[in-house]
Amino acid sequence: MPDKVHSEHISMGFFAWVGTASLRILRIVGESMMVTFEAFSYMRYLLTSRRARAETVRLMYEMGICSLGVITIVAAFTGMILALQTGIELQKFNQEKLVGAAVLVSMLREMGPFMTGLILAASVGSAIAAQLGTMAVSEEVAALEVMSINPVRYLIMPRLAAMMFVTPLLALYSSALGVGGGAIVANTKLGLGFYTYFDWALRFADTKDMWVGGFKAWLFGVLITMIACQVSLAARNGAVGVGLATRRAVVVSFLAILIVGYFVTSLFYQ
Amino acid sequence: MIKFEQVTTCLSGRNILDDMNLHVKKGETLVVLGPSGAGKSVTLKHIVGLMRPDSGHLFIGDDDITVAFGDNLARIRDRMGFLFQGGALLAWLNVGENVALPLREKTQMRDDEILDLVHEKLRLVGLENDFDKSPSEISGGMRKRVSLARAIVMTPEVVLYDEPTSGLDPVTSRKIDELIDDMRAKLGVTSVVVTHDLHSALSIGTRIAMLYNGKIIELSTPEELLESDEPRVREFLDAQYITKTGPWERGR
Repeated sequence: MPDKVHSEHISMGFFAWVGTASLRILRIVGESMMVTFEAFSYMRYLLTSRRARAETVRLMYEMGICSLGVITIVAAFTGMILALQTGIELQKFNQEKLVGAAVLVSMLREMGPFMTGLILAASVGSAIAAQLGTMAVSEEVAALEVMSINPVRYLIMPRLAAMMFVTPLLALYSSALGVGGGAIVANTKLGLGFYTYFDWALRFADTKDMWVGGFKAWLFGVLITMIACQVSLAARNGAVGVGLATRRAVVVSFLAILIVGYFVTSLFYQ
Repeated sequence: MIKFEQVTTCLSGRNILDDMNLHVKKGETLVVLGPSGAGKSVTLKHIVGLMRPDSGHLFIGDDDITVAFGDNLARIRDRMGFLFQGGALLAWLNVGENVALPLREKTQMRDDEILDLVHEKLRLVGLENDFDKSPSEISGGMRKRVSLARAIVMTPEVVLYDEPTSGLDPVTSRKIDELIDDMRAKLGVTSVVVTHDLHSALSIGTRIAMLYNGKIIELSTPEELLESDEPRVREFLDAQYITKTGPWERGR
């Protein structure tokens, strides 16, 4: 009898834990969605506020141009690795001419947005989380609220607008560089002519690949910004809290990019 | 002007504010004293709606801030200025831009009008030559003065001060005290000051409230506070070497 009571107690504890965790996740998701909708609703200020426009342009430069170096290297090498790996296998079947198609389609649909998303989550997402987290713990966010300056409008909206604009462009840039890197490897390692490489690449690629990749990158930009903002504005306990918020922002963004990336692909290609 | 009615706030199972009743009169400077963790900063956060009580009501004039949201809350907050303990200046804006921030974001004033007003407020706090400096280039006392200039730039009816003299040297502390007193004397501002600094409290307060475990255990004028026989008040006074017969004299 005591064993039965004990096991019932354990199972109730488990269900209570699941219930509490589910409610907590639902609350976080609900709050994040409300903040996201609020940030979108403030986009109208880009038309009326000179400061909002100037801040957004500054952030575009900071997020986009300043990320170009690392994206260039990562994208070029991603394309080169893709070309080398697929080329070696395709050579076994005398089909190395298809390397360009494999690289272009992979970069446009998946690797371009994916690599861009990961790089921006690690660089821009962490920077947003650290900055806003520091502002939260040093009462700067509270100061904005007291001045009736909405932090979502003042801090989050320009970051969201900038990321929504630069992420698809960077993904496209990254895809182009990957294809370029792949072309060099295909030419030097597989002996494939540039014309053949690009000719076969363009035969297989579709404009749908480009806009689906662009949409995916756009969505990653929204996710990275909103996760970083949401997590960091809840930061407490000084430097330790800022560190935790930054780490959480990067980890959650990585997971969100992987999971959302899969569902977007399955939505458009099944 | 500010009225707490049976305000109770519980955090982590402890009553930070316990059935608090308090009335801050228009034009007075009420100083809230108390040991760390007594609920002083929480009191200020309730006044500006950064925290909401579990029960009770808090009126700013005729408006109940505990039930105000959105535009209504913004309208009430527009009547208040807040000096944060660390200044809470935005790091990427210079001193002048920090003071100009509420004007740029909330008014339709022209740039030259904003600049004139910002220079006027910076002159009031003695920082007219520091317009272009960044917050990281100025001292803690200067940061607090910039924060004060920002708090009063919209000409609020109420200014709230969270530990305005903490971490400052005695000379700078007295300058801040003079500024707070000037706000009341020259501009008729209603002030609530949270501090540990008894010298400051006795200099600037028209009334002093002693907060202990979320309850107000003493509410009196500075002169009455010095005569108080409440043991916890006496302990607080003794800890800063202030006695009934001591050399303390009001600084004004």
